[in-house]
Amino acid sequence: MGLAMAALARDSVMALHGTMALVLGLGLVFRLGGVLYDAPPADPDRVLRYDDGPTRFGIWMTLAWAMVGMVAGVWVAALLYWPEATPPWPATSFGRLRPVHTTGIIFGFGGNALIATSFWVLQRTSRARLADALSPWVVLIGYNLFCAWAVTGYLMGATQSKEYAEAEWYADLWLVAVWVLYFTLYMRTLARRAEPHIYVANWYYLAFILVVAMLHIVNNIALPVSWAGSKSYTVWAGVQDAMIQWWYGHNAVAFFLTAGFLGMLYYFLPVRAGRPIWSYRLSILSFWGIVFFYIWVGSHHLHYTALPYWVQTLGMTFSVMLLVPSWASAGNAIATLNGAWGKVRDDATLRFMFVAAVFYGLSTFEGSFLAIRPVNSLSHYTDWTVGHVHSGTLGWVAMIIFGAIYTLVPQMAGRETMAWPKAVEWHFWLAVLGTLVYVIAMWNAGITQGLMWRAYDANGALSYSFLESVQAMAPYYLLRAMGGAMFLTGAVICTLNCRATLRASRSRDLQNDRPLVAQAAE
Amino acid sequence: MTRTSDPHDLPGADPHTGNRLIDPVTGYDTTGHDWGGIQELNTPFPKIAAIALLLTFIYAVIAWILLPAWPTGRDYTRGLWGLDQGRMARDGYQAVDTVRQGWLTHFTTPDFAALKSDPLLMAQAMPAAARLFADNCAACHGAAGAGGPGFPALDDADWLWGGEPETVAETIAIGINAAEDSRVAEMPVFDWLEPADRQALATHVAALPKGEAPADSPGAALFAENCASCHGDGGTGGLMAGAPSLTDDAVIYGQDEATILTTLKQGRRGFMPAWNQRLTPAEVNLLALYVSTLPEAKP
Amino acid sequence: MVLRLHYNLEKLSMGLVGAIILAASVGGLVEIAPLFTIDETVEIPADLRPLTPLELAGREIYMREGCYACHSQMVRSLADEIDRYGPYSLASESAYDHPMLWGSKRTGPDLARLGGKYSDAWQVAHLTDPRAVVPASIMPAYPWLMQPLDTSGLPGALATLARLGLPYDEAMIAGAEADARAQAAPDGAGTDAFRERHGDRPVQRAFDGDPSRLTEMDAVVAYLQSLGTQTEAARLAQEGTAP
Ligand code: HEC
Ligand code: HEC
Ligand code: HEC
Ligand code: HEM
Ligand code: HEM
Ligand SMILES: [Ca+2]
Ligand SMILES: [Ca+2]
Ligand SMILES: [Cu+2]
Repeated sequence: MGLAMAALARDSVMALHGTMALVLGLGLVFRLGGVLYDAPPADPDRVLRYDDGPTRFGIWMTLAWAMVGMVAGVWVAALLYWPEATPPWPATSFGRLRPVHTTGIIFGFGGNALIATSFWVLQRTSRARLADALSPWVVLIGYNLFCAWAVTGYLMGATQSKEYAEAEWYADLWLVAVWVLYFTLYMRTLARRAEPHIYVANWYYLAFILVVAMLHIVNNIALPVSWAGSKSYTVWAGVQDAMIQWWYGHNAVAFFLTAGFLGMLYYFLPVRAGRPIWSYRLSILSFWGIVFFYIWVGSHHLHYTALPYWVQTLGMTFSVMLLVPSWASAGNAIATLNGAWGKVRDDATLRFMFVAAVFYGLSTFEGSFLAIRPVNSLSHYTDWTVGHVHSGTLGWVAMIIFGAIYTLVPQMAGRETMAWPKAVEWHFWLAVLGTLVYVIAMWNAGITQGLMWRAYDANGALSYSFLESVQAMAPYYLLRAMGGAMFLTGAVICTLNCRATLRASRSRDLQNDRPLVAQAAE
Repeated sequence: MTRTSDPHDLPGADPHTGNRLIDPVTGYDTTGHDWGGIQELNTPFPKIAAIALLLTFIYAVIAWILLPAWPTGRDYTRGLWGLDQGRMARDGYQAVDTVRQGWLTHFTTPDFAALKSDPLLMAQAMPAAARLFADNCAACHGAAGAGGPGFPALDDADWLWGGEPETVAETIAIGINAAEDSRVAEMPVFDWLEPADRQALATHVAALPKGEAPADSPGAALFAENCASCHGDGGTGGLMAGAPSLTDDAVIYGQDEATILTTLKQGRRGFMPAWNQRLTPAEVNLLALYVSTLPEAKP
Repeated sequence: MVLRLHYNLEKLSMGLVGAIILAASVGGLVEIAPLFTIDETVEIPADLRPLTPLELAGREIYMREGCYACHSQMVRSLADEIDRYGPYSLASESAYDHPMLWGSKRTGPDLARLGGKYSDAWQVAHLTDPRAVVPASIMPAYPWLMQPLDTSGLPGALATLARLGLPYDEAMIAGAEADARAQAAPDGAGTDAFRERHGDRPVQRAFDGDPSRLTEMDAVVAYLQSLGTQTEAARLAQEGTAP
């Protein structure tokens, strides 16, 4: 496939991406051939172990993309304070790096973390080994090829300019294929589970897989200009495109940045705290509430725009109703810590998850508030939105990922703790402080901006020019860059710590961490 | 907390055994499942969640009744309040505009001298003018009206077209070289002149503002022959006479030789947008008054 | 009762899959499908013109450089926005936009009504180095836009958009490259053909100041000057109230 793309390509983006696929494909063929050729006779005990190789690889990719995405984030933040900080090359310009940040961090960092942990969680909650040895690798490697195509494409200027779906048509198609495989693998493994009931974490992972597929396909339907070129045109236009885009965009938040990570939370929090989930019944309400309500609310990104009023009303009202299931999940998580508060105090890993649940509650409250039309008239287009985004992504998504990583990595290495337990503590405080500095700066920035834009003096004249509002942002943009740098430092520490831990692996005691080889439940 | 006596009746109890572990911390029973070590408590549904859900639902229903909300095929429900986004926008705009018209109407038929001598009115009007200038004009003429290469300064007393507020208002409204009825200012292309001649002209013109241009140089001769028709004898013309004076500091592009050479080679056709489509006549007059006071405001 | 139902549902992976798909479909269907059927949402103003090939090329560059990350093209229906930017935007104005570029962040000002606000020369100076004309600006510089414009993709682009329903005819598609050159070279040989195909509403100028070279700058500036000028609908909708 890579060869075909590279050979037939009519533009440089397509040619490079074809070459990337080709090199990756060849590399894999050799690797696989090598493994098959001098493979030791198949290990009959394989089925008695979980298949954690893909998870390990996925965690590495998570950390690698964390670096890419966060460095891009800090850089982009710095550019808004020092616009001249960048060399005059197209690839380092703000507009091209910003989607590198968003895609790199959401899909690269977030997505790899979700896939990697979903394999881990799925196997343990089903007490069954992954249904297939090859497809987990294809899913992960294929997914990373998508991310790499997307990000290098933006640097070269290939973009559909649909927020969070900027990747061009061929990358979109490729992702669909990867996703179908992922879903199949998930279902096949689930069918092998030992416990008849499916655990809540898997409901969320399933919702993530299914709904993301639905959103991705509809929003990305496009007509390529040529089968050999990277350029395409979205079939949707104007107001319909806007609604579909934000139906997608909001639910990328909902089913990627929320549902998937709730799955993660529902596994790693009780495991680390050693406590049962506080309420099964509340789980049911929050899960179905989230799945049903979330899908309606995308239109809150389009208040007061040319989108018809009636859709805005639906978006607003469902956003308010959505608060209840959202807080139900946050509350369920926090109540699960009842009886484990001592651990929260002493264990930075558990504290990561606790703070994640708190920020989840905070950002969903903020979200529902911002979704109210008059509030949105102030916040929309401003840095308040960016503040909200990062209270969700830094405070919730990134924190829960770090909590999961710090739970998972020592276990994978057969150790009690990370190699440098103190560094986890440092990371925790850097992350919390960085998030607070970032978010508080952006709240101030956004509210200042919004108020300046709409301020009228007593004589009915606008008080400020647009440029004055730009100038007022400078101190906040500087603070944000500093908060981001703190957060990045924490992530670097985490990466080094993981490396040290996995290098110091011991042989694992698999007594309690292995599949039950019994009758499958279905 | 009440508990039904028969564990089989309890959804959540293991249907085969009825076994439910009791969690020592909370005192609740578990659902009986075990997922690789994870268990769930059968904590009853918290009432507060149900109440919250109900309250938000009531809020939503009220909103649906009052506001446009549900699609009905080719139409949608309008809501009891009968709100329409476009009309609300126009009303909102009207509301601020009414406040503004309280003083802005004075600017519709301008008697600039009278306006200027009304300190109360000026106190109301000048902040508005400053904002209009910053959002519309500052991009070219600079935040303080100091201009830049290609864009004339407005804060000096030298005007291309005249500094009377009436003249300035006219310039702002119709623009320069912008639309059919704009002011016209076109400096023809002199690329057909020998480069040496252009150089001589440039030397001559660059010396004009300093008053150092000798009257008997080849440049002066060329100037009289080619340029004086527009720029006047000795370059003292004015745009009202057809072309800007070249002897004062009211410069658009620059008074150094290199810039003048470019002007000669390419010609010039400065473009000042017409604002009568974007701003109301009163706003144009307001800006004209503001602009005409810029030289005084300059420290 | 409901609990018992769920209790059984969570034992069936396919059941769960079905239920999730069902629950997650309703909202989208109710909100999106009517946008294609409600009369007042789908109407297209009679005077709406599609972009010329040069302007379309400029739009591609606008997307490529990520201008939409900082600039909205959507004046919301609020008094202060009407005051600052002009008539609020209508859905019909972007009916030909694949994709729409309404934006979600205003680091820089809204551009929906930009066409005609500034001169070409200013746009060129600003894009080449924003701080040369607006010292306090934080917008990036785009000096590389002075490179030649690659027009080879234009016929394909127009043809694709025509298949999506835009009113580009055969002649426009075939003449796309010539028309792109002609629009930036006033008085050039292609003028008559350009006017014949695209009418006399699109402006024809040496946007980057040099009629002899066709650059990306020509395309971007042509696009920026077209913003808000494709139809009069918004101005009419607000007749007598907006500046
Ligand atoms: C696109 C850039 C641009 C913008 C925006 C602009 N101008 Fe100008 N303006 C010019 C240029 C260029 C000239 C000189 C034209 C020429 O070459 O003769 C000019 C000339 C003028 C003059 C005549 C100066 C004289 O000496 O006679 C006045 C007055 C003026 N502008 C006021 C304004 C006001 C008020 C605004 C805002 C409403 C404004 N301009 C916005 C570019 C601009
Ligand atoms: C047809 C009339 C005409 C003739 C002939 C003419 N000019 Fe001009 N010139 C103009 C006009 C009109 C402008 C202002 C252009 C603008 O506003 O952009 C101008 C502008 C200039 C400027 C730029 C002034 C500034 O403020 O930066 C210079 C220098 C100049 N002319 C020099 C000359 C010289 C030297 C000649 C003779 C070779 C000449 N002009 C012949 C009409 C003329
Ligand atoms: C980092 C954010 C950023 C990016 C990216 C950006 N701009 Fe800007 N833009 C600004 C800011 C801030 C201003 C206001 C200050 C100024 O006028 O330079 C602005 C102003 C403008 C203006 C003047 C609008 C007016 O009404 O005064 C135009 C036109 C413009 N930008 C076009 C573009 C184009 C075209 C691109 C992409 C090639 C782009 N911008 C990319 C931030 C940005
Ligand atoms: C109840 C839950 C939530 C609601 C109702 C909600 C609502 C909103 C609203 C109203 C906006 C602003 C739209 C605008 O004015 O442009 C927004 C933006 C955003 N929110 Fe949330 N939010 C919620 C939770 C979250 C969470 C948990 C995250 C992250 C993990 C998140 C990520 C985002 C992002 C990324 C954007 C920016 C979209 C863009 O403009 O590009 N939201 N949200
Ligand atoms: C190192 C920490 C980070 C820094 C410094 C940072 C910085 C930034 C900056 C400067 C922007 C652009 C805002 C603008 O256009 O004005 C941005 C946007 C965004 N970032 Fe981050 N970011 C960081 C971490 C993250 C993480 C971890 C995530 C997700 C998991 C994330 C998700 C996003 C999203 C979704 C947007 C788009 C917001 C919108 O369109 O409204 N960021 N970030
Ligand atoms: Ca895409
Ligand atoms: Ca955004
Ligand atoms: Cu949203």
